[in-house]
Amino acid sequence: MRAVAQRIGQLVVVLFLVTLFTALLLSMLPGDIGETIIPFGSDEQREAVRDDLGVNDPIWTQYGRWVGNFVTGDFGKFYRQGNVTEVSDRIQSTFPVSLQLMVYAQLLALVIAIPLGVYTAHRAGSVADKATNTTAYALLAVPNFVLALVLAYVVGVELGWLPPQGYVRPTENLGEHIRSMILPSISLAVGQIAVYMRLLRTDLVATLQQDFILMAKSKGISERRVLWRHALRPSSLTLLTVAGLNVGTLIGGALIIEIIFSLDGMGRLVFDAISERQVVAIQSLVAIIAIAYVLVNFLVDLLYAAVDPRIRHGRG
Amino acid sequence: MPDKLPLRRAYLYRLLALLMAMAMIAAACGGDDSDGGEDAGGEDDGGAQESEDLDEGEPQPGGELVYGLEAETNGGFCLMEAQLAISGIQVVRTIYDTLTAPNEDGEIEPNLAESVEPNDDFTEWTITLREGITFHDGSPLDGEIVADNLNAYRGQYKNAAGENIRSPALFIFVFQDIADVQATGPLEVTVTTKRPWVSFDWFLFGSHRVGIMGRSQLDAPQSDCANKLNGTGPFKLERWVVNQQFVAAKNENYWQTDEAGNQLPYLDRVIYRPIAEDAQMMNALESGQINALHTSSTEQMGERLRPLADSGDIELNESDAFGEVNYIMLNVSKPPFDNKNARIAVAAALDKELLIEVRGAGVGEPADGPFAEGVLGHVEDTGFPQYDVEAAREAAAAYEQETGQPLTFTYSFVTGEADTLTAQEYQTQWGEAGISVDIAPTGDQATHINRALAGDFQAIAWRLHPGDDPDTQYNWWYEGSPVNFGRIADPEINRLLDEGRTNPEGREEVYQELNRRFGSEVYNIWTSRTIWAVANAPEVNGLFDWTLPSGSGDNPGLGAGHQVTAAWIGE
Repeated sequence: MRAVAQRIGQLVVVLFLVTLFTALLLSMLPGDIGETIIPFGSDEQREAVRDDLGVNDPIWTQYGRWVGNFVTGDFGKFYRQGNVTEVSDRIQSTFPVSLQLMVYAQLLALVIAIPLGVYTAHRAGSVADKATNTTAYALLAVPNFVLALVLAYVVGVELGWLPPQGYVRPTENLGEHIRSMILPSISLAVGQIAVYMRLLRTDLVATLQQDFILMAKSKGISERRVLWRHALRPSSLTLLTVAGLNVGTLIGGALIIEIIFSLDGMGRLVFDAISERQVVAIQSLVAIIAIAYVLVNFLVDLLYAAVDPRIRHGRG
Repeated sequence: MPDKLPLRRAYLYRLLALLMAMAMIAAACGGDDSDGGEDAGGEDDGGAQESEDLDEGEPQPGGELVYGLEAETNGGFCLMEAQLAISGIQVVRTIYDTLTAPNEDGEIEPNLAESVEPNDDFTEWTITLREGITFHDGSPLDGEIVADNLNAYRGQYKNAAGENIRSPALFIFVFQDIADVQATGPLEVTVTTKRPWVSFDWFLFGSHRVGIMGRSQLDAPQSDCANKLNGTGPFKLERWVVNQQFVAAKNENYWQTDEAGNQLPYLDRVIYRPIAEDAQMMNALESGQINALHTSSTEQMGERLRPLADSGDIELNESDAFGEVNYIMLNVSKPPFDNKNARIAVAAALDKELLIEVRGAGVGEPADGPFAEGVLGHVEDTGFPQYDVEAAREAAAAYEQETGQPLTFTYSFVTGEADTLTAQEYQTQWGEAGISVDIAPTGDQATHINRALAGDFQAIAWRLHPGDDPDTQYNWWYEGSPVNFGRIADPEINRLLDEGRTNPEGREEVYQELNRRFGSEVYNIWTSRTIWAVANAPEVNGLFDWTLPSGSGDNPGLGAGHQVTAAWIGE
């Protein structure tokens, strides 16, 4: 209960700082929002947009108004000439896409990185360890958008195994949804695999030097059980931390992959909002991403206790 | 036997890593844009090409056309207020009809209207509508709804409650010479103009932007007007998932039939998919995800589409007919381009042929004026400065002598890889003439337009002036017009524009003179004709077979999209 209250307090502080900083940054953006939204309009039309958005008010008034609206569920509007859409509607359609992409990419990265990390830690110094590390560095060096375009062409066009782009909702056709998400997930996961594998390997190598591992081995416990049951869990904390940080990054930061694969996700939404100087929408989107970030990291903290009994029972 | 020093394994692995890194760098740096022009099959004369027509057989009803567009239209389709780029216009063509449309010879003809006739002095136009046409919701097309639409485009429409609910922006300027619009009969509308307006019928087409909306959309609140579409077009909106697909279903009651009397359209459905990444659009066509696309990327035309067309895998239709022109717009209201020598220097320093070769994969034709071949006002020799580095240096020196300042300026362009590379090429060529240029990306498209609107530029990348009647360019060049971004203030140009609008005699000579005026005064640096391409899978037929009600063929220009009314899917 106390932990939950602490987290809520932390969330509020983080949100306040992040959104206030965003508001200040936005106030310094060049360009006039009226001219950006209605470049061919009359002065009266542009002034009406400025009034509607409240951009003529002092920054503190604007921020206060946004906070008041946000906490009551009004995330603002996307203003475009001839069309005004609720930010909440756009979030409703884009957030699930980004969430799916993030989850699939993370799962894929972890499913591959964890066994590789365990194996290379177990075989530290061997040919296989060095080869795996070298490959990991090579994959890390490849920008994910390069990989994305190569995969789209080779797998999607030359081989014809998967669609090169496009998105299908899981409710429309689950099979096609999965097929449409494989290439973007791989594109994002590959860089993560290298990082996660290296992190886990480093922590595992250190853990395997510890006395309790020696004790477990001396009790006749199999190598496999020692690695997966005894060594892996206490070595996972750094991996969990980085994975948690990546979640927040991926939710709003997979813009390039979203564009390449024609995914209508949060990354594109944020980019569009910034390009169009949609100040209220930007504030709301930043706040939502910040909330997701904090919540995910809260979950990660909970996972710490589940993974490492020393944390659960107080460090001993 | 001599001793061999064993290689340490660590050294081997470091060497392996280094070799892999070098291989990747080599792969990234390998190839350049000009390779595409050489490797592309078929004729390589740089101009628009058309592959072998693979259409065969009789039109078959049914099927879906899945069409890749280069962008989404986030602003929606409330026609008076929408800011439509070509992707939006292509969609609009599917849902709405215009009162007039250009034919294969570039002449304007009645389309939705049965006739559009001026009086003797072109101050009154009578639009007679066809009988029996209905909107997608079943409501009739009549004089009242058409008059209300035209008044809405002018910003003069009030709904039944007396509210002025439509807020057009650019159209207010476009239609400012209209004095009055009235429904003068059940199927008749009379438009009175403030002065003779010889080519007013062209403005009823407006690059297919001036569609006619049904009452339910015309009177709807802004958001509904943008999203709940109601037109007379061959297809009607079924569903629209932004950034995913726009699905239009066949209009069973469409007013047009084919030559044999069969109901049009043939297709069950047209699905538009916005695919922002050029290479992925090509991938989607090649993999069969889409069966048609449009693009203006000359790189993709040269490197992907032409080879596919040569091997018979796709049909490719490229067109610069009646097309737009790519150019560098100069702000002539402030230094340095308020000085003619500066403009001449910058124009003469550019080798357009080289630009097309290096940046366009060899695809494209140089342009010396705003009017494409076939468009009224086109001339072969506009007097525009030709590539001549010495002449450029002389003009730059003359500028320096007059002003006491070396010629230097900033060139602005939309942020993006292709535009950046083009800007760098410009910078290099200008540098060879001794002209120092900073290149500055402006950001996204919206910011770019914003910059032009505010006059916050010296030289800026631009593309405009599709091949409609030259009078449709009036607002872009007339002194004092809010969309005269270059701030051209030339009494001769004003005179020629007014003459071309109001005098039916000698219009060709007037616009040719206008063209030469642009050539001599160098208000803009024309670079190349815009080539648009439409590529389709072999099973797609009849994509360009639509005819106007008179039987004339459709205009071959692709700069304002094309009708898909007569498309059909074969084996």
